[in-house]
Amino acid sequence: MNFPKELRYTKSHEWARREGNKIVVGISDYAQREISDVVFVELPKRDQSAQQAKPVAVVESVKAAFDIYAPVSGKVVKINTQLESDPALVNQDCYGRGWFYEMEMSDTREWEALMTAEQYEQTIKQGIN
Amino acid sequence: MSAPSEANVRSLPLQNRHVAAGARFGTFGNWNVPLYYTGILEEHKAVRTHAGLFDISHMGEFFFKGSGAARFLNELLPRDIENQKLGRAFYMPLLREDGGIIDDIIVYRFTADEFLMIVNAGNIEKDFTWIKPRVPVGVALTNASEELGLLALQGPASEEIAAKIFPEVKLKEAAYYGFLLWKNGMIARTGYTGEHGFEIMAPHQELAKVWDDILDIGAQHAVPRKVISCGFGARDTLRLEAGMPLYGHDMNDEITPLEAGLEWAVDLKKKSFVGREALGMQMQSGLKKKLVGFEMIERGIPRQGQVILKNGKKAGEVTSGSFAPTLERNIGLGYVAAELAVPGEELEVVIREKLLRAKIVKLPFYKRKS
Repeated sequence: MNFPKELRYTKSHEWARREGNKIVVGISDYAQREISDVVFVELPKRDQSAQQAKPVAVVESVKAAFDIYAPVSGKVVKINTQLESDPALVNQDCYGRGWFYEMEMSDTREWEALMTAEQYEQTIKQGIN
Repeated sequence: MSAPSEANVRSLPLQNRHVAAGARFGTFGNWNVPLYYTGILEEHKAVRTHAGLFDISHMGEFFFKGSGAARFLNELLPRDIENQKLGRAFYMPLLREDGGIIDDIIVYRFTADEFLMIVNAGNIEKDFTWIKPRVPVGVALTNASEELGLLALQGPASEEIAAKIFPEVKLKEAAYYGFLLWKNGMIARTGYTGEHGFEIMAPHQELAKVWDDILDIGAQHAVPRKVISCGFGARDTLRLEAGMPLYGHDMNDEITPLEAGLEWAVDLKKKSFVGREALGMQMQSGLKKKLVGFEMIERGIPRQGQVILKNGKKAGEVTSGSFAPTLERNIGLGYVAAELAVPGEELEVVIREKLLRAKIVKLPFYKRKS
């Protein structure tokens, strides 16, 4: 499994890439494998405010629906509408074209507290064993 | 269904093969079953375009033997068993006196005096407990569920593959819902996918060879004749597209076959069978609710338990729902008030607190071309 070092991660398996005071959010390689075939994505609305650890989007496999949580608090500024017509991008390129949304952070300290790739990989290993 | 405690979870007889094949497991009733091997979408497509192999050994098998077997089953069951031909299988519901569906079953006539009944895994005990005290002297009922396994080879290429695996069996002689005896089991032209195919019954110790042979022969071919193993995930999407109800979801003890759209599987010309009177009365008084198929107009995947509305008022409930891989639409089955059960009728499904538009469509959602 692949967990890029430049990203931060959450216990609920989102990744976040920081760009200034904004972050881009998606789901990790571990999450997309666990969910398997993604057939539906429900995105947040632009300008929607988001609270850390609260659901803002939904991803569905053939069998079930899963919530996507906001890694930090802030405001959604951009959404990847391509996922609505091509949800399989989440499986094909989870750290690239499979991104979900971009948000403006209201408190960058929340970003600092997110897990590094190393810490995230550790929690997954613990979860599996 | 509540989560089964681990001690009660059963494994399929070919569990080791499914583990070795890298299957992802899940629970189905109190069984630990392969949900998928490579992915539900790929396995679904394999069955629609070439062939897939399922291990459905969780299903239960009851045998009825004796000179009174045909008469007994004819009184118990809603189809004309006395006139059932040898080598023919009938699908039907097993009914309570009040017309409620105890299970949906397939009955096979082996000889004049010997029948096989295949029942749903989750209902083995319930069915047996219901039937056993009704069995008259002169009829022997045995539960062979622990000894017999079942594999399903499904898809347009299944005929060609089966002909290679079972060269001694004249498969062409078996019509749809016909079956042929084979070694210590049988091969039936039945299935739960909406495609051509066979279900193969054999004792557990003979099952592995059939499984391996089919996959080996299948592997010698390139697509479209390659066979892949398929899990319960694809089995569910395939049967849903084919408009086939699933027991415990789309039907249960409180629902009658008339409500479940199974009137074709009950013979109301028969004067008597368990549940006959109740169904006759329901025919006269009319149905209050009916199972319908619907597809979403707005974006959203319907799921079991979601509420169906008509003009904002509760009109029913979703009993099965999924993304339909072949149709690339979001579809579902559900019960709605009988007066709304008309193709073209628009409804709303409540998905995550949003009211999303859907419309009733004719079943099945998917029909094979030939």
